[in-house]
Amino acid sequence: MRRAFNGQPLLWLLSPAALLLAWALAANSGAFPVQLLVPPQAVYHSFTELLVSGELREHLVASLSRLGLGFGIGAVAGMAFGTAMALSRNVEAFCGPLFHCVRQIPSIALIPMFILFFGVDDVFKVLIVTKAAFFPVALAACEGVRAIPRAYFEVASLYRLPLRSLLTEVALPAAAPTLLTGLRIGLSRAWMVLVATELLAGDIGLGQLIEMSRQMLRIDLVMVGVLLIGLIGFCLEGGFHLLEKRLLRWKPL
Amino acid sequence: MSTFKKCCAGLRGLASPLLLVAAWEAASRQDASHAYAFASLASIGAGLRELSGSGELWLSALASLQRTCLGLLYGASLGTLLGAGMALSPLAARLVGPLFHSLRQVPILGLIPLLALWFGSGEGTKVLIVALAAFYPMALNAVEGFSQVDPRYREVGRLFGLGPWQHCWHVLLPSALPSLFNGLLHALAFAWVSSVGCELFLSTGVGLGNMMMNAEAGARMDIIVIGVLCIGLLGYAMNLLFSRLSQRLLRWRPLRR
Repeated sequence: MRRAFNGQPLLWLLSPAALLLAWALAANSGAFPVQLLVPPQAVYHSFTELLVSGELREHLVASLSRLGLGFGIGAVAGMAFGTAMALSRNVEAFCGPLFHCVRQIPSIALIPMFILFFGVDDVFKVLIVTKAAFFPVALAACEGVRAIPRAYFEVASLYRLPLRSLLTEVALPAAAPTLLTGLRIGLSRAWMVLVATELLAGDIGLGQLIEMSRQMLRIDLVMVGVLLIGLIGFCLEGGFHLLEKRLLRWKPL
Repeated sequence: MSTFKKCCAGLRGLASPLLLVAAWEAASRQDASHAYAFASLASIGAGLRELSGSGELWLSALASLQRTCLGLLYGASLGTLLGAGMALSPLAARLVGPLFHSLRQVPILGLIPLLALWFGSGEGTKVLIVALAAFYPMALNAVEGFSQVDPRYREVGRLFGLGPWQHCWHVLLPSALPSLFNGLLHALAFAWVSSVGCELFLSTGVGLGNMMMNAEAGARMDIIVIGVLCIGLLGYAMNLLFSRLSQRLLRWRPLRR
């Protein structure tokens, strides 16, 4: 590929800046009602207002703690289940078909069912997030463990490695690339589903901020929420990419 | 012996789903509060007869499927175009890439309130949401496909003196096709989920999501279960259909394995 443009970081900023400019011009031109197309400075103003009043922090803490709890439970359970399924033929024979059936059901479709079961409180949201994180992680763990070459274990047994170092120094690094991809997918799905559940039901959280502002026709607040959701998704994914690179830096390219 | 063993292995797979169904049924027979949350198998069957008898199930499923296909058509074709553009022209990638990658991060379902305020909550908005959901994975895979064209093929194309359109049709498209199909498979999954998802949020119109939300308001667990099963089965069937189709269409390709 041509590398002529590599040294021009300004070009990277061009399209977002152009969009921002177009937005500002369109909003200030008066062609659209201000209630519908809010100018960027108004959105920024509402953002600082929310930030100063501390309301934004409450929403953020609520959303992120739900995400952390649900994703944590789902990821740990998924890794355990996936590893068990990869190692034991019995576990796969007994649980595999059910696992692959339930995997086909989108998390979003389960929302009405979970609401009837668990109400609209935090339990329901955390459980949906857990479900969304569990399946991709379990699948990745299963595939990652299964793909470890048998030769590695043979070498390990030649060296008489104890079980602990067999797990931490041979099995885990070999399965890590697949596992990390699964975790990243699980995290982004969990975030998407969490926002969906908060939009549908609840009292606090970023999704709820958007939904309440929509009902009050405060598009500026809706946009603050949407931008923040995007930003958090971007940071989660970007952070995970960095983590992957750092953890897998031993890998030959 | 081996067939007997295989039979046994297949039966073992049935054990856990049957156990789950049995536990569900047992829970539904406990008392009234359990029967409210766990609809018994008999009531699910009755609900299925009721829904299919009145035609509501078919109408809802058809509406959801139709929207998925329409959104997929728009989203996938635009995504292919953008992806091809970004892969073939470094300038376009530098110009549009950052915007594309930052907009991609916003969960589609989070955009629903905003889009509903701008464009109303009618069918058009829903198709737009589905198209957006299909657009991003398609564009990503198109970039991958078109940028991985073997340089030797390009050289052969140049040697034959192919024009730009011929070059696209005979050289670039066939090498990008596997990635495009892969993208289409992803786009289909996203389109289906977001089609059902936007029905959950926008209560006007018909669809499996609307059916389930109405059932939730009336605490009809049997209908919700039917809805969940339908969504899962239809999603699985579409996925299977598309992957079979892509295998068939790509059968000319020598496999590397």
